[in-house]
Amino acid sequence: MALPPSLRTSITPLELELVASEQLVEIVPLVSMERTAFISGAYGPLRPPTKCKVPLWMASNLKLKKKCHMVPPAWLNVDFLQERLLRETTDPGFSEMPFRFAEVAKILLDVAPDDLQNPDRIRMLLKDIREARQAKSREGLSKLDHNELMLPNLCAMEINEIRPFFVRGMNVLTHLTREPVPVDAMDQM
Amino acid sequence: MASACVDDFGPPIAGPSFVVRARGAPDDDDFPIGDDFIGGGRQAIIPQDLAEETPFQQLIRHWMNERHAPDILPGQEMLLGRLLDHIRKQTSDVELLRADPDSSEEEHFRIMLVQTEVERVKFVIRSYVRTRLHKIEKYAKFISVNPEIHEKLSKAELDHARRYARLVDYHFNQSVLQSLPEQQRSAEENVPFMPPMTAEPDKLRPVFAHALQDCPPMRLPDGTMSEMQKGQIVLVPYYVVEHLLLRGEVELV
Repeated sequence: MALPPSLRTSITPLELELVASEQLVEIVPLVSMERTAFISGAYGPLRPPTKCKVPLWMASNLKLKKKCHMVPPAWLNVDFLQERLLRETTDPGFSEMPFRFAEVAKILLDVAPDDLQNPDRIRMLLKDIREARQAKSREGLSKLDHNELMLPNLCAMEINEIRPFFVRGMNVLTHLTREPVPVDAMDQM
Repeated sequence: MASACVDDFGPPIAGPSFVVRARGAPDDDDFPIGDDFIGGGRQAIIPQDLAEETPFQQLIRHWMNERHAPDILPGQEMLLGRLLDHIRKQTSDVELLRADPDSSEEEHFRIMLVQTEVERVKFVIRSYVRTRLHKIEKYAKFISVNPEIHEKLSKAELDHARRYARLVDYHFNQSVLQSLPEQQRSAEENVPFMPPMTAEPDKLRPVFAHALQDCPPMRLPDGTMSEMQKGQIVLVPYYVVEHLLLRGEVELV
């Protein structure tokens, strides 16, 4: 019953999605519901057409049953992403993005493309941003040493992506630079 | 970690039962979803900070830490107990409502949402416990000979570690060691230039640490000191941030 081997080295993107689904999003409900207590807090009441904040998992559940419209977060639109892409491609550093933007964007694009303006364009922009950032994080590998590596503004999904390689690499460097065993200690062995 | 443990004794977050609470909804507004969701003074468009952590969010954080840390972290028994109680309560409420033939469509719908959440919580609890189980079995021998680790484990976990270590020892003895010459039978000898025979947590393994607050300086492997500001993410060997992690000042991502 221990953790299956496939999950031992790292967290999976699906699990990251599960974590991100705990975030709150705004919805416009199409059904009414009394305020209800959940384990993570009380949500509601839903009174169409008043906006309401619920966790993402609940929003996508409602959306799949056509019982709400999702209000996309302020960063998930063509203008904002276009501006970010420009910054990503001109500035050598990572620009600030919500920590779990990839997961949230994926869920919204999967579940509620009709609530987004121009979902195809958003998808393209996200892909371009991802590739620009990916190139930077690969470049970051050259800065890796046995000490520390600062990763400003890196996001959950990107960290997960570089994890296996960076951890292995740093581990090797650590072993190479470890304090050499003193000579007399060697003699005693 | 001490402060987190004290928090665990706090009042249960979601009152009596969801049915009762829902009926008294307008007055029972003690758990508002803060308007500060967008995150205080930060750039409002990118909400990085969430309001106060709920027990489930705490569990998610401990689950992530446990998944990424090479060592076993202190078990969160209080937190688990609280969440399990909560699951039990929600489940029994659901069953009560289900049994009621007069329940409306809206109620069925709420039942479905409550059950969905219960399944999510159960998944995380299960994965958390299984992650610990994996480490316990991997380091069973090491745990059973090092008393200082015992306080990080629950009683059931410790019993399991001891029993498992005994079984493995017995198996090694029966299948191989007893047929070897006397001086090669030990399972604890340290051969130079070979890894130790008892598996130990590799605290040199790098981890990605995310500072939850401004952290006191930490000593890096090359002897220099470094400070992390809130929100920074850094890749360092585990032992560098271990004490910060145990105090809840960083989380592993």
